[in-house]
Amino acid sequence: MDKATIDLLARRAGLDKALAEFPDDVAAAAEQASGSVARIKAPTDPRAEPWPPMRAGGGL
Amino acid sequence: MSDLHWLTATEAARAIAARKLSPVELMSALLERIGRLDPKLNVFIRLDGEAAMEAAKAAEAEIASGRSRGKLHGVPVGIKDIIDVAGLPTTCHSKILVDNIAAADAVCVSRLRGAGAIVLGKLSTHEFAIGGPSFDLPWPPARNPWNPEHHPGGSSSGSGSGVAAGLFPMALGSDTGGSIRNPASACGIVGLKPTYGLVSRRGVFPLSFTLDHVGPLTRNVTDNALMLDIIAGHDPLDPGSAAAPAGHYASGLERGVRGLRIGFIRHFHETDLVADPEVSAGLENVARTLQAAGAEVRDVRLPILGEFGAVNRVILQSEAWAIHGPWLRERPGDYGKLARRRLLAGAFFSAGDYVQAARRRLEMIAAVEDALREFDVLLCASAMDPPSRIEDAAATERTYPRQARTPFNVTGHPALAMMAGLSRGGLPLSVQFVGRYFAEATLFQVAGEWERAAGIDQKHPPVM
Repeated sequence: MDKATIDLLARRAGLDKALAEFPDDVAAAAEQASGSVARIKAPTDPRAEPWPPMRAGGGL
Repeated sequence: MSDLHWLTATEAARAIAARKLSPVELMSALLERIGRLDPKLNVFIRLDGEAAMEAAKAAEAEIASGRSRGKLHGVPVGIKDIIDVAGLPTTCHSKILVDNIAAADAVCVSRLRGAGAIVLGKLSTHEFAIGGPSFDLPWPPARNPWNPEHHPGGSSSGSGSGVAAGLFPMALGSDTGGSIRNPASACGIVGLKPTYGLVSRRGVFPLSFTLDHVGPLTRNVTDNALMLDIIAGHDPLDPGSAAAPAGHYASGLERGVRGLRIGFIRHFHETDLVADPEVSAGLENVARTLQAAGAEVRDVRLPILGEFGAVNRVILQSEAWAIHGPWLRERPGDYGKLARRRLLAGAFFSAGDYVQAARRRLEMIAAVEDALREFDVLLCASAMDPPSRIEDAAATERTYPRQARTPFNVTGHPALAMMAGLSRGGLPLSVQFVGRYFAEATLFQVAGEWERAAGIDQKHPPVM
């Protein structure tokens, strides 16, 4: 992820203060996030459901 | 009675019930030991010694008058400082919550107290159960009693260190990516992450709603089963709580493993992450021992560790961002560096990333369920390395992620870590057993066989 994208996403998330005070931490967090996403093999079956599922009637 | 600090919870409870041991005598011995060792180990964030002694005196009076509160009457317990104890701070080891006082006991604490256990105090953790070991927080990090120059694992670091050091016989921890099993592995004790939903999370500060588990850390398997008997059970006010029947976890402890089928997940430590040779040798020894005791041990494959870890991180950090976002926006400087970096990552995932991870999670659950149709229990590594030196940040950063615990937070299966032996350097090596949903009794059965065969519950840190 390039610096401009990191800055844009951080500001959109309201992290202006973190960006000003801890720019290295923000950059490291962004790198970690993109690395994690890249390692996941997204299911190819469009019907693959997420877990946990919605269960009607199972609320408190 | 000598060496009161090495009494197990079961031994102490029996001796107290039989009036062979006074809870006051036990508490005095432990408080003296805490006073001597805690300055080196940093186990406690808040020791509640006076109240604990008062509770011990009350227990003594009750027992003398023939009243029993339950299976743990008069036995001390330590509580990880993300779990509420009424009237005590729940700081999560963070400046963010430094003034936060709990109004009520968490359900797990309330259940322990109901069985007669006495809360000794609140224990060190990684900041918010994610950032550590760290030296930039209001309290120092806990250290490993096998060698205080080394880390004790985390995030339930005070729980692991204190149990192993004989400061208390049992503790509560929490586990979102391995945080009970890591300190159990590093400190050579028994740590269980129960099936998701078996133990209520109400009153426990959340890290990740769908990955958080609460569980016991003890010095032997019997105590672990006893503690689980007490803390497990449905809580209608915890949305993740399971309605499954709970209890009788020690029922199979003496049964042995003859006829059990154990799947050995070798690829976790042989190819996904290549373990330290002493760790590999320890795992082979556990497998051989269980085979010699009559279990059938065969290899099994699951998805690779790297992908389990990625799914865990995307879900964990996304859910944690929902909790910490407001503080990270307003008070980023009040977090330690490690927690800040790890929690900020949640801001960079899209909703689609989170849902894709959740979809892949279901496929991973199916893969583990498939394996557990063929096997009663799975055996694999917990940590790939002995614990590193705590002040060597680079070594800790390199070795901490080298583990095989996160898969079972992703899938919710019960998983137990315990000592597999000692390294040449005198540090604990570890093994992990994984079971079917709600089949903790079978996990204890296998763990109990290994414990008996190896005598590992008799090994204590030499410096203590």
